[in-house]
Amino acid sequence: MTIKAHILSVAAVSMLTCAAAQAQDNVFKLGAIRYTTNSSTSGIKGPGVPAGADAETGDATTVILVYERTLTPNLGIELVVGIPPRIKSRAIGSVAFLGDNVLSAKNVAPTLLMNYYFGDASSTIRPYVGVGLNYTKFASVKSSLAPKVEMSDSLGAAIQAGVNYAITKQYGLFASVARVDVKSDLVAVGSTVLTTSIDFKPVTYSLGAWYRF
Amino acid sequence: MKFRIWTLAAVVSALLAACGGSDPVPGTIAPEGAPTTKGTFTALVSFGDSLSDVGAYSPATSLTGNGAAPYFGGKFTNNSATSTVWVENLATSLGLAVTPAEVGFAGQSVKCPAAAISATLAGTCTGYGQGGSRVTDPNGIGKSGGALTVPMKTQIANHLNRFGSFKSTDLIVVFGGNNDAFVQFGIFTAAATKIQTDAATGKITADAASAAIFQAQIAAQEEMKKAALELAGYVKSEILAKGGKYVAVWNLPDSTLTPFGGTLPASVKPVLTGLVDNFNLWLADGLAGQPVKIVDANTQFKDVYNNPAKYGMTNNTVPACDATKIQAITQGAVTDGSSLFCNSTPGAPFNGIRAGADVNTWQFADGVHPTTGGHKLISTETVKVLKAFGWI
Repeated sequence: MTIKAHILSVAAVSMLTCAAAQAQDNVFKLGAIRYTTNSSTSGIKGPGVPAGADAETGDATTVILVYERTLTPNLGIELVVGIPPRIKSRAIGSVAFLGDNVLSAKNVAPTLLMNYYFGDASSTIRPYVGVGLNYTKFASVKSSLAPKVEMSDSLGAAIQAGVNYAITKQYGLFASVARVDVKSDLVAVGSTVLTTSIDFKPVTYSLGAWYRF
Repeated sequence: MKFRIWTLAAVVSALLAACGGSDPVPGTIAPEGAPTTKGTFTALVSFGDSLSDVGAYSPATSLTGNGAAPYFGGKFTNNSATSTVWVENLATSLGLAVTPAEVGFAGQSVKCPAAAISATLAGTCTGYGQGGSRVTDPNGIGKSGGALTVPMKTQIANHLNRFGSFKSTDLIVVFGGNNDAFVQFGIFTAAATKIQTDAATGKITADAASAAIFQAQIAAQEEMKKAALELAGYVKSEILAKGGKYVAVWNLPDSTLTPFGGTLPASVKPVLTGLVDNFNLWLADGLAGQPVKIVDANTQFKDVYNNPAKYGMTNNTVPACDATKIQAITQGAVTDGSSLFCNSTPGAPFNGIRAGADVNTWQFADGVHPTTGGHKLISTETVKVLKAFGWI
């Protein structure tokens, strides 16, 4: 969590020092996010692991808070933070009998994005696309198979497409979809040592309201 | 602005890097600090099991049947006059002699019998390996049938009792844990058989059976982890800390690559392989950063299995000893074809060799133990490894 605070402060400081000539706005967005994964792994490796042992990650829903600083009428930089959802994994393949919750972790996943807004600033509907970076830390990792599990942090690209709908100049609604690069190496230490690499391939769907000031 | 976002990315990356790495994966850190110079060896001190046994159970193979010499067997190989095990071969190549630290069977034993023959041999009783011995548990394989099965923990303690400490001129070879794997595999297969019976009779579901078998495997792996860490512990606290300088520790070969392994159903082979691999993983973990050398017998053994011709072997799947002959020779007492009772002397009435077998080119004497040729292979490879260490 200290990392997240650091990123927030770094991002905040950076944004405060932006001194473009145009009128700059601050936008807060609050919404719900559906985090869907399409994970694949490198296979689970370790002494005595039966061939074909694998796992796949599940989906989760949580609340996100977005702060966006508009730099020009068409450009904005936003930081997305959320209440870390717990993502569960279930055993598949030759070890499917192990069940639905062999591994779970809370994804602390701040994302920094640069958005480009189409159209005119006064438009009611403004589509946008964004590109940026996602950092994911896996906190409170738990497994029914091993007392000690570590997952490496992930830093990867994030892209998104969304649309803002202005009810008034001050507030409105937004919806977006994003594809994020999230990969983690897992090491589970118990009676033996199991390792795998997980590519989560998440797609997120967000919906919420924004407030500009 | 592109510049700015990448600056941010750099800052974020730097922060992430600063947050520190995770713990290293167990078993991935190499030993460190073992000698790199040639030793001046005055003794070969060997701890282990049947593979390193230089004749502890000879009295069980007494031709007169009363425990007295002459013996027709006594080592886990094919026991002709020229049939030596790898520990003896290694000693010979170093210009040394090694004799059993203890010889006996069925409740009777003598420590260092060589000393009774000649006082000058008293220092040669450093072959501690015994058939059936485990790392810590004194109840080794064959104990109930009379085998001593002194565990490696006690083997090391016995050496310290006799010699006070290890010397910098001792070449110390530690090769054990195979019997822990066999015992745990036996417990696992017994549990799995019962679980499968329960599933077949409808007492439990197929998934419940799979989960129970998985748990049985985990339990066996836990025991292998324990044994491996214990062995590493003895190496540290009882050998290195007590004067041992040239210490080589063997990891375990995969016993599924033996004639015995060939008889196992394909479904359980990976379990035994896994137990061996798990032992090796935790042995490496226990010896991480320690001034020892690990001899990777596992990789070596796999290469021999896959390329027997490269090592001069023509048969690595059939035991050279004939179980039926051994049963007859022992008047029905030994039914499993154990090479302890196998002798390859041509024309001898106690010859137990299978028709057509060659103890120099067939790798195995019985289900798991090497022939004379198989032992020679181990000692030849060991000499290579010790040369690579710079020790000889």
